[in-house]
Amino acid sequence: MIVNELKIPLVEGNKSYGQISDDLLANVERKPAKWWFAAMAVGTLMLAYGAWAVYQTIAVGLGTWGLTNAVGWGWDIINFVWWIGIGHAGTAFTIFFLVFRQKWAGSINRSAEAMTVFAVMCAGLFPVLHLGRPWLVFFILPYPNSREVWTNFNSPLFWDVLAISTYLLMSITLWYFGMIPDLATIRDRATNKVKKAIYGVLSMGWNGSMRVYSKYETVMKLLGGLAAPLVISVHTIVALDFAVSVLPGWHATILPPYFFVGAIFSGFAMVLTLMILMRKLFNLTEFVTGKHLENIAQVLKYGSLIIGLAYVTELFTAWYSGVNYEIHTFFNARATGTYAVGFWLMFAFNAVFPQFFWFKWARTNLVVLFIISVFINIGMWFERFIIIVSSLSQDFLPSSWTDYSPTLVDIGIYVGTFGLFFCGMLLFVRYIPIIAVNEVKPIARSERKKTQKTE
Amino acid sequence: MKTKQIVGIFDDEAKVVKALKTLKDQKVDIHDIYGPCADHDILKYLTKRTRIPHLAFFYGVMAIVLTFSFVYWVSVIDYPIRYGGKPLFSFPPMVVLMYLMTILTTATLSVFTLLARIKYYPGKAAKIIIPRVLDDQFAMLIQKPADADKVKAVLKESGAMEIREEDVE
Repeated sequence: MIVNELKIPLVEGNKSYGQISDDLLANVERKPAKWWFAAMAVGTLMLAYGAWAVYQTIAVGLGTWGLTNAVGWGWDIINFVWWIGIGHAGTAFTIFFLVFRQKWAGSINRSAEAMTVFAVMCAGLFPVLHLGRPWLVFFILPYPNSREVWTNFNSPLFWDVLAISTYLLMSITLWYFGMIPDLATIRDRATNKVKKAIYGVLSMGWNGSMRVYSKYETVMKLLGGLAAPLVISVHTIVALDFAVSVLPGWHATILPPYFFVGAIFSGFAMVLTLMILMRKLFNLTEFVTGKHLENIAQVLKYGSLIIGLAYVTELFTAWYSGVNYEIHTFFNARATGTYAVGFWLMFAFNAVFPQFFWFKWARTNLVVLFIISVFINIGMWFERFIIIVSSLSQDFLPSSWTDYSPTLVDIGIYVGTFGLFFCGMLLFVRYIPIIAVNEVKPIARSERKKTQKTE
Repeated sequence: MKTKQIVGIFDDEAKVVKALKTLKDQKVDIHDIYGPCADHDILKYLTKRTRIPHLAFFYGVMAIVLTFSFVYWVSVIDYPIRYGGKPLFSFPPMVVLMYLMTILTTATLSVFTLLARIKYYPGKAAKIIIPRVLDDQFAMLIQKPADADKVKAVLKESGAMEIREEDVE
């Protein structure tokens, strides 16, 4: 056998199909480690804090939040936009894999999709609570009703409802359909009767028929193709919520592309953070190799360049427009004034630090990768904070200027969504293969063909 | 209806492909192959193209037309209301709605079409040919022809671990 040592395979260790099943189903078939229970307990506590905050919001009202007359959108919309951004990575990975046929995305797209599903769930919570009377949320749906009104189809807020619910449905479909063959594998390997029955119901009678695989693959590709424009539209529409208003700092045509790139950027950063942890905790280093992480770092590098360009362009257009309000928002409020710390943190974390990824040592050093990915997550949160709060708290009328600070309830809802996200991800790593087994198998085989030759 | 099938069990997809090549040359009809993952070397010998994408296109067109009609009916005929002096019928916002509804409808209906076509539903009992078929083994099913021995010889030569005859639905 000749081994080409110059080519680094995407799946290391020269594994057979049986070994791949054993390795990738270990998290489902073995009892969880102690840290899992500890993490679950922490997640549940966070969730409990969130539940208290949601109860306060509903029972007492929006007065429990830090909102003021001027700052009508606060932590709720900041965190909504932030979570939606995080939620963009999963579908992006699925598109990379299904549409652009990037094989390296095959080991990551399952967990990235899981992240998307939970992040979008967290995001969806905020606008609903922000209604003030969340039990009337159905008013936003266009159905013939006794109030004899229709929703305003010209409003981006309604588009948002449609875009995000479509996105959630689509992510769940892609995620679930992608894992049906894996669920069937778990079913067939299960020794426990209850487990066999549950995975049996979920796997829909999958039996590995190639004729079915062929149709299934076609439909998965179709879904991937349909998801591609959807990913672009979701954050574009979120950006339109801002861009169609008349506030300085929001009323800009650059916002939709800038938000879209920001979303992909923050999503990939979160994937990197979680992948570094998961590959260590579940011994997946042979499937998510340094090369995978390096590829994500490359995407982050270019995302960071575009984001940085957008920041500078915003400042430039504010100055070039000559409009006092714009100049005030960008230069007095954001770059040098009350919110300067947040602004420069955002700038450094999003536009400067990821530039280290031009160097190979940074892309291949796990500690650097991890720190920068966490920085990006924080930086993207600051970006949303700066956009929303600086524009609202210092608007056209100086007499109504005010400061903004969140209350314990605001913080509680945010912490609660983290609890939801962590619990969701922990349940995911317990019950579903973290890496798509049926997708990695053919990749491992073709990689083997590329690097080895039997005489 | 159950029919007699020749079942060849393999532990490596390269052997399956080898057998497939020879059988295709001899114009033997392959009933189906079962395996742990979609293997393109196998699929290209086996399948006809599915027409689901054609249907999906139809679903998309339907969604565009229906969304346009509905939003037009609401904003111009049923409940004409002017927002800030803008025209009753403004097309750009409808583009957004048609765009999203096209994706939503096409995706949902395509998935249901697939499930109907392959007759899968939650809770269906799986018909497993061999226990390890979703793990690391492959099974090739061939409707028993007149010259069954010849087919069996090909399977044997390609490296099948086991060859047996079975009544399969």
